[in-house]
Amino acid sequence: MANSFKYGGYVGQLLRVNLTNKGITKEPLREDWARDFVGGAGLAARILYEELPPKIDPLGPENKLIMMTGPVNGTMIPAASRTAVCAKSPYTGSFFHSIFGGFLGPELKFAGYDGLIVEGQASSPVYIWIDDDRVEIRDASHLWGKDPFKAQEIIRKEIGDEEIHIATIGQAGEEKAPYAMILCDIRAAGRGGMGAVMGSKNLKAIAVRGTGGVTVPNVLRVYNTAVRLNQLVATIPAVQGLAKYGTPRNVAAMNEGGILPTRNWQTEVFKGMKDITGEVMREKVVKGDRACFACSINCTKYSVVPKGKYKSVINGVDYETIYGFGSICEVDNIEALCKADELCDHYGLDLISTALCIAWAMECYEKGIFTKEDTDGIDLKFGNVDGMLQMIEKIGKREGLGALLAKGTRAAAQIVGKDTYRFTVQNKGLEWPGHTCRPFPAAAVGYATGPRGGSHHDIRPTAEKSGMVDRRTLEGKGALAAEVNHWLILCDSMLLCHLGEPIWGPLKISNNTIEALNAVTGWELDYEGARKIAERQWNMIRCFSAREGFTREDDQLPVRFMEEPVPEGPMKGSCIPKETLERLKDDYYSYRGWDLKTGNPTKEKLIELGLDFAIKDIC
Amino acid sequence: MARVRVKSFSVIRDVLGAEVIEIDVAHPETVGGLFNALVDKYGQPFKNRIWDPNTGEMVPFLMKLNEETLISSVSDLDKEIQDGDEIVIIFPIGGG
Repeated sequence: MANSFKYGGYVGQLLRVNLTNKGITKEPLREDWARDFVGGAGLAARILYEELPPKIDPLGPENKLIMMTGPVNGTMIPAASRTAVCAKSPYTGSFFHSIFGGFLGPELKFAGYDGLIVEGQASSPVYIWIDDDRVEIRDASHLWGKDPFKAQEIIRKEIGDEEIHIATIGQAGEEKAPYAMILCDIRAAGRGGMGAVMGSKNLKAIAVRGTGGVTVPNVLRVYNTAVRLNQLVATIPAVQGLAKYGTPRNVAAMNEGGILPTRNWQTEVFKGMKDITGEVMREKVVKGDRACFACSINCTKYSVVPKGKYKSVINGVDYETIYGFGSICEVDNIEALCKADELCDHYGLDLISTALCIAWAMECYEKGIFTKEDTDGIDLKFGNVDGMLQMIEKIGKREGLGALLAKGTRAAAQIVGKDTYRFTVQNKGLEWPGHTCRPFPAAAVGYATGPRGGSHHDIRPTAEKSGMVDRRTLEGKGALAAEVNHWLILCDSMLLCHLGEPIWGPLKISNNTIEALNAVTGWELDYEGARKIAERQWNMIRCFSAREGFTREDDQLPVRFMEEPVPEGPMKGSCIPKETLERLKDDYYSYRGWDLKTGNPTKEKLIELGLDFAIKDIC
Repeated sequence: MARVRVKSFSVIRDVLGAEVIEIDVAHPETVGGLFNALVDKYGQPFKNRIWDPNTGEMVPFLMKLNEETLISSVSDLDKEIQDGDEIVIIFPIGGG
């Protein structure tokens, strides 16, 4: 199979494992789908649209979990090490792709597969062991209940190979907590409950060892492209700093700009910021740096708190940890943030959703909606660091208030009532990352219309945040949001890291992205060709959501962002009122050629993009 | 002459040597002139943090002038600065 595929960069083979009947099959990758959807999230969306009946239970055996690589994975192109885990999400109810870095995706290709499709449901805990051609479904009873890192350690020991790469779930995934994550070696596919889908299949882990390679049509061209891209990584100012400070390099600057979300987004300026910056992290806890496969950005930090009550060893902290457990919960202790990060990994919880659930509970507590009776005696005020850590444990164990918070803020607010929905910071059920939209209209419409809801990987506020475009006008913002969607989804199908934003974007698909794809595949796409693929991918995902029943009405922002202007700082007064959002949605849908009433792609648009097969479902 | 405070973070701070530095510039001076003065004083390492060597252009980013006004490297380099002003460099960085 290898090397006979029509296009470079691909193996040309998918691995399908059915956990119900223990069937293991290897099947050819469709050439037309590779060309039309590339790989990663784009290709997985096409496969799941084909194979999943609408409205299935995401935690039932009918759902499928796809681990998908892309053509650039496993080559020497930098910032191209990521892997997409895709399924119908138990958290948002639609197609979801959660992407992680590291080594597992390239390893899967080296083993001989462009992707792994897991279907059905095992009758008892299992793990999948992929050793090049040899694939086994193994008993995992002894791993069930184990911390993800411990499970990885046991698997490596029993297989006798330290070099294998492993994706594992924790206790949260085993118990199908809807925002459970998958830990892939040291990196997380954090969002959207992909860990719960894995847990619903009784699948504890996926372990991979591959000894093959990736074939490209012109090695010299790929080499030259990689050299040039590495030069960009080393010299572009907006990428510099990741190697030393990781993603937290931006904490202090964002606070100065009045865009560091704080106190469950009640404000965007944090007075305790100076103790949780990237600089403080580097000085106090970072002990080393780590990089993903073939990546020169080198953003991952290895941190240790050697003693005391926050004793921990983690890979991080990342910006989202500092935002989520720091400014959002008003905690200004970097060592405690390391502990929070470690606890989320231990239980296998998505860090962003966990933090936002706790912040919502803190706001409920301070407003008198929750009392100490509800919190098992914890004085759950903002800034109570130990209370916050205790709540992570409770969520992980689904104990007391933790059992409610483990459902996510949207579901929890529906249960609690009392208008608590108004301060859930989520849309489509997914809690928000630490990148505001209140001053940024393109980001606002991008978040609202994004298939995953609160994901900063469906839209980026960078263009408006940097002054590249005027943040104070609504004009052209629908088009900007759509073109940012396009470079992001093309990256998520090639599995390029969004931290290379100045290289791959940032306003639209860049020539660097197109050249990386062309060099590896042998395609000679121009901008229009690449854009059309990305537009097809985006519309494919929209069709999936539409078939599930999503409409224009689901494209919303958190109430807080529409009704509560930023109260202080340089962005004081910023918000996106409902009427403004509706105008932005009209602009966005019009630019996309979508129906203004339903928000769905029109028949004409689907025909134009070769998505005719979806007409019967959504038009 | 005018004395201006410049506040920065991360790798820009590393080049300037401190989170807040003061620099003397001509009076009157513009924001663009301030950055040229910083290049004169701190040399190529500073320039490498602000100008993209691949395009030769200053990268787009926001600045905060005197705790209240946000200005941009794209549109406000001609803005005049005064003795005692403070500029905070807010680099455009996404999170992970």
